[in-house]
This record gives sequence, structure tokens and C-alpha cells, in this order.
Amino acid sequence: MSKIYDVIIIGGGHNALVCANILAKKNKKVLICEARDECGGLLTNQLTNFLPGLHNNVKSSIDSISTKDYSVKSIALSETGHHLILSNNRNENQKILEKFSPEDADRFFKLEKKLSIFSKTLGSFMQSSPPRVMNNSFSDNFKLFKLGLNVRMLGKKNFNEFARMIGLNIADELEDQFKNTLLQGLIAHDSVTGSNLGPRSPGTLINLLYRMAIYDNSIFGGIKKIEGGVISAINALEENIIKRGVEIKKSCFVKRCIIENDCAKGVELNNGELIESKAVISSADPKSTYYCLLGAEHLDTDFKRRVKHYRAKGRVAKLTLILNKIPEFKGLEQSDLSQRLVVAPSIDYIEENFNFSKFENLSSELMLEMSIPSIDDPSLCEDGMHVMNVQIQYAPYNVKGGWENKSDECISNVLSTISNYAPDINECIDKKEFISPNDIEKKFNVSGGHWHHGEMQIDQLFMLRPIPGAAQYKTPVNGLYMCGAGTHPGGGMTGIPGKNAATEVLRDL
Amino acid sequence: MIEDLREAALKLTPFHSRTSLACRTNTWYRWAGYTVVAEYSTTELEYTATRNGTSVMDLTPMYKYDIKGHRAKDFINYFVTRDLSEMKDNTVAYVIWCNEDGKVVDDGTVFCMNQNEFKICCAVKMLTWLKDSAEGFDIDIKEVTDETAALSVQGPTSCSTLKNYGASDVEKLKPFEMKNYNIDGYSVLISRTGFTGDLGYELWTDPKNAEAMWDSLMEAGKHLKIRPMGMYGLEMVRIEAGFIQTGTDFVSSEHALRPVRMRSPYEIGMGWLVHLKKKDYFVGKRALTKEKETNSTERVLVGLDIDGDKPAHGSVIYNKKKEDIGIVTAALWSPTLKRNIAIASLQRPYGVKIKDDIFVEIYHPEELEYRKIWASCKVVKRQFYSPERRNAVPAEVY
Repeated sequence: MSKIYDVIIIGGGHNALVCANILAKKNKKVLICEARDECGGLLTNQLTNFLPGLHNNVKSSIDSISTKDYSVKSIALSETGHHLILSNNRNENQKILEKFSPEDADRFFKLEKKLSIFSKTLGSFMQSSPPRVMNNSFSDNFKLFKLGLNVRMLGKKNFNEFARMIGLNIADELEDQFKNTLLQGLIAHDSVTGSNLGPRSPGTLINLLYRMAIYDNSIFGGIKKIEGGVISAINALEENIIKRGVEIKKSCFVKRCIIENDCAKGVELNNGELIESKAVISSADPKSTYYCLLGAEHLDTDFKRRVKHYRAKGRVAKLTLILNKIPEFKGLEQSDLSQRLVVAPSIDYIEENFNFSKFENLSSELMLEMSIPSIDDPSLCEDGMHVMNVQIQYAPYNVKGGWENKSDECISNVLSTISNYAPDINECIDKKEFISPNDIEKKFNVSGGHWHHGEMQIDQLFMLRPIPGAAQYKTPVNGLYMCGAGTHPGGGMTGIPGKNAATEVLRDL
Repeated sequence: MIEDLREAALKLTPFHSRTSLACRTNTWYRWAGYTVVAEYSTTELEYTATRNGTSVMDLTPMYKYDIKGHRAKDFINYFVTRDLSEMKDNTVAYVIWCNEDGKVVDDGTVFCMNQNEFKICCAVKMLTWLKDSAEGFDIDIKEVTDETAALSVQGPTSCSTLKNYGASDVEKLKPFEMKNYNIDGYSVLISRTGFTGDLGYELWTDPKNAEAMWDSLMEAGKHLKIRPMGMYGLEMVRIEAGFIQTGTDFVSSEHALRPVRMRSPYEIGMGWLVHLKKKDYFVGKRALTKEKETNSTERVLVGLDIDGDKPAHGSVIYNKKKEDIGIVTAALWSPTLKRNIAIASLQRPYGVKIKDDIFVEIYHPEELEYRKIWASCKVVKRQFYSPERRNAVPAEVY
């Protein structure tokens, strides 16, 4: 073994880059080992359409990155061509919603206001390391006290509402509030996307709150697009940390973490090379970290039981279409096509879709979120061509028949679904690339192929993420930490897991 | 019809045709889904056979597991607290295993058939715990309780009995060694192990040979004071030997409903089985290391020598200020030692630093009334009875 690093980070996702940035600013010698030939992990243009960008709190603690982002409109597609188009402009939204029903408009803003109060309360808790329960330490107890206080400070009325809503399913709330099924479908889509839940599953409302906490505490307003796609943000982050002296090894697959006397001492690469460090941070998902990198023989039986119970089966697939001309969507301008187009015309449509996936089947009509970003940003594609990203919710990880046999069926179901809105879609396609949850698992080394490295539901959030007893970016083994989306506060391009992990590591180093 | 119902409720061991014939009191004991004899004729006679002749006991209900695979040894060494990295073929080791909090799940014996094949024998059903522990180890675990007929043959003349039975060189076996014998055309695994604190052996064979084995043993011990022993007799000898029993002297951490009832190895006298210096990790190592470092062990399991002759079953233990400091988990008037002994769980520092002025309150039933006895007692070694012949090599032959 040659040089000794302060920290080795396994994986080069955005959380790893954020973590490295903060460590490097504190003069730590950092090495990032990325198995693929590029950094960014699951944040690639291939997988991701819209993200809010890094959390403000994170931006302020890393070197500034220069990327432009702009708000996008959310368009709930209707087969009739009378789509619902919402933006971050309140007045416009009001007019549009009133057209369907004056009541809906009023209720929408009231609901958004109420939910934003709750999401701010949750959000305040998302930014730092979750407290340990029953630890008797002052800072942990203080954090718990503060969360309790924040919730209590909502006031009696809101507190009761919060208690009512926290376990609620989104469908009940939306059906009570709105007449417009497109609006119901659009919000329900955002409440279930990326999860293993249908709109009538309990706990979908907290999903929406969580999403709002990341997206500027607004239902649709915080949804943004980064110029050049997310990869440009990743590239900017990468450039920054290289300037800071962080080394990045690409195509460098870490076989395991070296453990001596119950303490992490470095990593062993697939080629047998050993690299020594004072601490190791894994940005891989919890199951990969514990079973592949650490090894089950370093864990207690009860702990392994908890890792085994960790729910991390992906349910989102992605279809990238290279188009030789822009398809015509009924009732939409061409400029609308670079916005967020959602196929979720009603709650029942989504729930039926979910029912298929619940039994590991594919629905013939799918819930989709899509966009043609190359309309605004021609750099994404060769001249004259366009790229269309289609995100397919409810593509179950363990699909019956296996993805190797089911991919074609899924693609043709997607295209027939799109053709309900854009009848000429099939004539426009030059190339197709499909990524199933299984492909995500293999290509990005994420066990289960889950977007967020594991379900973001109440049993796997806060001090329970990824599992009780190891929720503070630490593992049972000294010197081994975690910084991926499998840690608090979870997935989404916040960078908070990376930032919080860096804080924990710096405290110990 | 009634016979059918009984068979459906509790399993019969492969020795049942013989044990039921020998059981003249028709007193049975429910053990791990099986029915076994509690008392054949008189418990004291059966006890005496163990201390002065040979007793034979049906051990079939003990849970048995086969652990096989190229990482079987790694797994065993990870599973138990004792360092078994040097365990040799054809040997047996007494072990305990813990959960992540360093609380004892169960005790038992590990049999090393070869470096890739082990057996675990224990009192509590352990299949799911074993399987969940084996996650990440490439091994096969199979329960073989029903596929193994097991007898314990214990007492000063047990070696002679086995020699007559056909195990020609069995006296050469050292304690915790085992050997495979071929007797009357079937294979028998004999290990020098037991739960009586005396010279003794345990025999494992295929259930189809069970009856023949029983008959041959009885014949072989005919002039060596052989006698079948029931569960009541076993309880007497195991207390004299100071052996602990899961569910009696401590509660398995997998079964305890109240976390405070779980016990660490240091709290039940099993600290000697915890090898914190073992190179590899084992389940509970972090918690046990912390317990040792912070000296946070709360209780201790001790032997008590109690004044008088009335056994202190379930008695509460007090200090001189009459404060409650513990409880008796097992008690016996020992016929061999002529002492009133007990195993007791005490709140530290009692039993460790403070050994004087300890009292037990015995409620002795006397014809529908209890006589309350306030008896003074001494803290002594839990192993009340351990004759030299127990570990003598070669074993005594008569």
C-alpha cells in the first residue's frame, strides 16, 4: 500500500461529490472510486428529467457551481386535448384552474398553503443528521425536542390537521378537495412517483410533503430543469472538487472494504489493489454497502435481519427515444413539449396501473412523465435530431416473466400509451433505449434498482433511514460511513446526505 | 382412536416402544414437541443409577442441526462467542451464542465432524436464528432432530457398559471427543459428553436402529446397575453438576418479552466462553466488548450452600438489610453431597464482592401450611459435584 488517504469515498454520485467537496475544503485528502466511467450515479440525463437542484443549505457549504436552471410547467395530458397546464405563476394557475372549476382554484391554493406549512416543518428536520433515540445525549434529545416543538408550534388547528394527514392516502384528500380529475391525477402522480405505492396507499401524503420540502415547499412551483441536463451540474461539481485536490478514479470497482479489528482501513479494488485510508464512506445503497462492501460476517444477526427487511425494489423504468422529427401532441404547442408532460389522467388510472405492478405485471396503459428537452437545448442531440425522455412508473422490479423477456412489451405499451396523445409518435422514432429497474441495478450497482436507494416511507425515514441503529451516516464498524440516498433524508438531488455525512466524518477524524 | 389423538399432539421418540414399557409410573413430560418419560419408577433410584451405576436417558427431543459447506467453520466461529478457529475433527465444544446486544440466545454443543461439516445440539428451536445468522455465508443448514435418535449413557459404569455393548476402545475417548462406531451392523456416533457432571457419553444413531440400540445397551449393562432415567432425575443431577438450563436459569433473548430479563454471558457464569480476543467478529462482540470495558454487568449466577435441609425452590434472596437481591433459579437437597444447594441469580455486587450475610426465605410446605424458613447461605462454586472419574483418561472400566 502506497499513499494513505484521509477518506476514500466509494461511488461518485452527487452525494459523494458534495461530501468530497466539503471534506476537501477542510483539507482532507480524498479519493473517490467510481465503478463506472463517469460520475453522477443515478443522476444522468438518461434517467432524470426534472430536479430542483442541490438544496440551498448544501449550495452554501460547497464551492459554488455555475449552472443555470429554469422552472418548468407541469402539463397533465388529456386525451381530449384539453390539457391542464400549470406553472409557477400563481395568477396564471388561478385562471387555468378556474376555467375547470372556480372552487378548485380556491381549494388548490388553500391546500398548497397548508401543505407548505407542514413541509417546512419536515424540511427543518431534513437538513441535519437525525437524532439517536434513547441515547441520552443532550444534542440528540435537543433535536427530538426541537422537532416536537416545531410540530407543536403549528398551533392547535394545524397540529390536528398534521396528525390527520400524516398517515393519509393522497387519493382521499384530493377527491375531497377537487372536481378536476386531471388535477387530481397530476398531484397523485407526484405523490407516488418513485415509490412502491398507489394513490390509495396510506402514507402517500407524507410522500408529497417530503417532495415539497425538496421542491421549494410548493406543489409544482419548485420543479426545475438544469441547462444541459443534470449531467452539467455533476460536471460542475466534479471540476470543483478536482480543483480542490480530490482524486477521482473512474472505472474503478471497489470489491470490498478492508476491515481490521472492527475498523475500516481502506478498500480493495477488483484488480486486487489495496488502498489505505483513515475512513471509508460508501455512497452505495445500504444493501450493497452491508452485504457486498462490508460483508455479512461483520454484522450481528439482528442487524442483518433489519438490512434484509430494508425495502428497496425499484418500480421505475426509463425509455429514451431519439426522434428524427418532433411528434405532434393534440392541443399542445411545440414549445410545451420541453415541459413536463404527465400521463396520469385520473386517480383511478394510476391506481389501476399500480394494481398491475402490485402483482408484478405490466399494465397496457402506463403512467408516464415525459419531455423533449432538446427543443430548448439543442446541444443534447445531434443536429436535427431530438431526444425524448419517458419515465415509466409502475414497472415492477420482479416483473413476471423477467425483464429480459418483458422489455419489448413494456416499450410497445409505452408507445401505444403515448400515441393516444401524439398519434404520430411511432413515425418519429429513430432509436430507442430502455432501462428497466433490473438494468438500473446492474448498470449503476444499486441493489433493487431503486431510484432513492430504498423506499422513502415512514418506516425508512428520519432516524429509521436506512435502518434503526445505523441512521447517523455511521455503520456498526468504526471508520465506515454512508452518504448515499439510502441515508437521511433520502433521494432527490438535494446533496443533504452527502453534506451531513461529511459533518459526521469530520467530527470523528 | 384415543391413541391416534395422542400421536397427533405430541411426537413419540424412536425409543418409545422401549421407554413406555419401562415406564411403570406412566408419568410423562412434554419436551420440544415430544413426549418423554418424567419418572420410570422412582426418581431417587434413577438419580442413584447415574451416580453409582449407569443411567440411560432418551435425548431425542434435543434440537439438532447439520451445518455444511466450505464456510461452515467460519460460520460456526462467527455464530458462537467461543473461539473455535482451532477446533479439530471429531471433537465437541460447549458453546453459547448471543444476539447483537450481547444477550445469550442459547447454549449448546458443537460437534465437528470435519472442517466443512458441523452439528449443533441445543435445547431451544434455533432454525430461524441459525438461518438469519447464516445470511452472507455460503452454507447449508438443516434441522435433523427427527432424523436422529439420541441417548445419553451416564454414570461410573457407563464406559464398561459401552465396552460390553461393542464400543471396544471407548475408554480412550477424552472428554469432548467423539468417535464413530459400527456396532451390530449399524453406525453409532459416541461422544464423551453429558449433562450429569459424571463420567458419561452421548450416542447418536439413525432412528431405525433405536430399538436395537436400547436393547443391546440394557443387555450390556445388566450387571452394571443400568437403569433408564427420566427428566426428573436429570434435573437432580444437572443441578449437582451446576449446569444451567435455558428457560430455567435464564431466558433466551429470542424468547424474553422484557428486555431487562435478557442475560449476558457474564451474568450467567458463561464469561469463560466469551473470547473477545477472537480475531474475527462474532455475533454480539461489540456489545460484549462494551459491557466488559464499561464494567456494566448487572447480575451474576452463583451456587449457594444453604443452611438446613429444605430445598429453596424459587426463593427470594435477601441481604442483611432484608433488601431483595436476587432469586433462586434451581434448588435441591443433594443426596450425594448431603448439602442443601441452589443456583441463584444475584444483583451485583452481591455474589461477587459481597458474599456474606446473604439469606434465603424458604417457604416449606407442611400439610397445607407453609413454614417460613429464614436460612443463611454461603456463595460457593456453582459446580457442586465433579468427581475425578468425570475427566479421567482412560475412563474407569469395571
